Amino acid sequence: MTMLAIWNIDWQVLADATALGAVYALMAVGIGLVFGVLRLVNFAYGQLVMAGAFALALASQWGWPQWAGIVLCFAVVLVLSMLMDRLVFRPLRGHSPAVMLVATFAVAFLLQSIALLWFGPLGKIATSLAYLNRPVTISHVDIRKITIVAVLVAVLCLVALALLLERTTVGLHMRASSMDFQTARMLGVRANRVIGMAVLVSGALAAVVAIMLTVQTPLVTPDFALRDTIIVLAGVVLGGMNRPIPATLGGFAIGFASGLLGGALPTNQSQYLPTFLFAAVILVLLVRPGGVFARGNAVERV
Amino acid sequence: MRRLVGLQELVGPAVLVVATALVGTLVSISTQGYFTDALVKVAIVVALYVFVGNSGVLSFGHISFVAVGAWTAGVLTVPGDVKPAIMPNLAHVLRDRTTGNLTSLALAAVVGGICALVVALPLMRLSGLAAGIATFGVLEITHNLLRYEERIGPGLNAFSSVPETTGLRQAALGALVVVGVAFAYGRSRFGRLLRATREDPAAARAVGVSIYRQRLIAFGISGLLAGLAGGLYVHLLPVNTESVYLDLTFITLAMLVVGGATSLWGAVVGALAVSALDSYLAVAENGSSFFGAHIDLPAGTRVVIVGALMAVVLILRPNGLTGGRELRLWKR
Amino acid sequence: MNGLVVRHLDVRYGGVHAVRDLSFEVAPGEIVGLIGANGAGKSSTLHAIMGVAPATGEVLLGGRSLRGRRPEDVARDGIALVPEGRRIFAELTVEENLRLGLAARRGRGGAGAALRGVYELFPVVEEFRRRQAGALSGGQQQQLAIARALVAEPDILLLDEPSLGLAPTVVDVVFAALAAIRDRGIGVLLVEQRAQRTVAASNRCHVLANGELRVTLGPENADDTETMVAAYFS
Repeated sequence: MTMLAIWNIDWQVLADATALGAVYALMAVGIGLVFGVLRLVNFAYGQLVMAGAFALALASQWGWPQWAGIVLCFAVVLVLSMLMDRLVFRPLRGHSPAVMLVATFAVAFLLQSIALLWFGPLGKIATSLAYLNRPVTISHVDIRKITIVAVLVAVLCLVALALLLERTTVGLHMRASSMDFQTARMLGVRANRVIGMAVLVSGALAAVVAIMLTVQTPLVTPDFALRDTIIVLAGVVLGGMNRPIPATLGGFAIGFASGLLGGALPTNQSQYLPTFLFAAVILVLLVRPGGVFARGNAVERV
Repeated sequence: MRRLVGLQELVGPAVLVVATALVGTLVSISTQGYFTDALVKVAIVVALYVFVGNSGVLSFGHISFVAVGAWTAGVLTVPGDVKPAIMPNLAHVLRDRTTGNLTSLALAAVVGGICALVVALPLMRLSGLAAGIATFGVLEITHNLLRYEERIGPGLNAFSSVPETTGLRQAALGALVVVGVAFAYGRSRFGRLLRATREDPAAARAVGVSIYRQRLIAFGISGLLAGLAGGLYVHLLPVNTESVYLDLTFITLAMLVVGGATSLWGAVVGALAVSALDSYLAVAENGSSFFGAHIDLPAGTRVVIVGALMAVVLILRPNGLTGGRELRLWKR
Repeated sequence: MNGLVVRHLDVRYGGVHAVRDLSFEVAPGEIVGLIGANGAGKSSTLHAIMGVAPATGEVLLGGRSLRGRRPEDVARDGIALVPEGRRIFAELTVEENLRLGLAARRGRGGAGAALRGVYELFPVVEEFRRRQAGALSGGQQQQLAIARALVAEPDILLLDEPSLGLAPTVVDVVFAALAAIRDRGIGVLLVEQRAQRTVAASNRCHVLANGELRVTLGPENADDTETMVAAYFS
């Protein structure tokens, strides 16, 4: 009984957890889109977010107006995504999953070291949208504006993406390609166009995530979003890598759980958050290796 | 004659290890450290190969066992009079005991092996991405626990005052032991069965091979060897929780894949090749003269170059430098 | 309408020589059969034409070479494949499956007319167009697969064992549709295991064994089982 008493879950914690879940859901979609068409887990996704965050930091250092910083963020992330696709993903298509995993791992580390070299370990500060950190009071409860914005933006992005996938031809092609790429190609679906689209959307989502994360964590260091990527990946695998909706839910769930545990654990235990989190992840994986929403015995594709 | 032909797959790796040690004796004391480090890396990468190479399942958690081995050997060999000062919160059973060098290495291996078995019991049912995430979880949990739990080690601080017994000789001998065990396992019935499950899981299952059991055995042996490597490591330089975490995980996995993940020869070649490059660049970063060339690189470029070259090798030669094959000096 | 010409086709998968020096033609408005035992190289031939199998030799559509082109480009040039096992996108609706087939259409517009055309040929596809494709029976899925290929209005239609696993009455429907398709002027290359039916339905029927063309039969040979068996196992 005393354990429950020292768990301090209040509206602030719940709101923060929801916001974190929203951001992680977007990352999950970004990773899942590329996985769907390329069957490749992009470990370097977090580095895209990092690059976007550094772009924002540079823009605020140079005194650029907010909108310009956001444009720069998108530009940097999209260019980097396309480079990654051309130089790394395409040549590796069709190779063993182990090689693809380690290769993207290598790219992640390479980008992190470049950032370390360029910006140093202390990082830079991105101050652009800091005003969103200020709270708004709703019926006696203080909630930071960014929390509301994060959830709204995430919902908007997800709705837009759903419309893209369900209502447009290119969306149909993307869905088919993630189910059976070879047959889709034999029906005339252009492989490069579909992959390019997936990479583009995935990159755009990374830019959005970068913007939202820098509001909550203005200090951008080379390992920005590295931890988050790992946790999101765990969430996606937990939800079910192969299907878009479960993957997104998995990302949200683990973000929410992470935020909840982080806020609710008593301070002397909160340093063990990673242990609790990953112990839970392992437990779920043991029970449902194909993902929580997997149908029966999902055959391991990777 | 048959026996000798079989041994040839051990020759290549063993010769490389010995050669590295010998060359190491010829260079200056300051450079020797790189050679010793390279040999310890060989031990870690070969330990990794025993599981990853033979089973085809990626494990991101093996550095946990290196860490556990390092912690075991370190805690047990810090001199008794210094221990209370460095690790004040150490559990009684660990505080009062101090062992010698070899015992610490042996215990490091044993503890590594036991931890690996405990982890493997639930985890070996998983494959592919699920196994990757789960083993990553093991790495995270180990890192988290070792960092904050001061009853079993130095926690946030680095291990200091551990006797530096890992010189060229200990590193080379340790690496040879690891290579030898890896070779013996690979040639054994267990190794062959496990490789069968890697090549064609359905067929292996059809003939009654228990994938779970074979992976369990390999993971345990692999953990044992990793623990030993950890013991070697802690006797080489002051280890802390960050030095047995993501960086080391990445570099050892990359060494294995770059060398050729499915062969012992590949593991050794990968470890030595990348270490050689890394050391060369490290020396160049210090602006010294190396083999006659005078280079001066800004700090930090070394990791970038190594990372870039590894990515390039992987893209151009996905099966690694050795193509994943063993070195055969003469055909059967 | 363009015709398909295959000359000296050779397909190798690593050490396996699946197709050896195969030559044949498919003109518009005819059905050419390709029969043979399992492993004879029939599917490999189709895959080589579509560009998903490593091949040497000539594959010409209307005089233009298709070799080395990507599968989506071969499809867009006017060759449509109905794959072995149907390869329906089970999680998409029937209509979405058909819309996928539109990807290979040459020329803009006319999609509506193309859809109406296939609905005429396969009324069951129109009936179930809003259902999930995975909910259809085997025979219905086969009709959907053919419809999906036809919607692109190809010059040449390739079919890989369409009657596999289907009940005799459904096979009748499929073969009747193939005749109608031929009458529309499309060239059909039909790979099948059911030798007799295929020989009877085709203008020409090539028998493959071990990757090589052994004998060519006409519809008059449909009852000549001796020749067929001899050719299969030669």
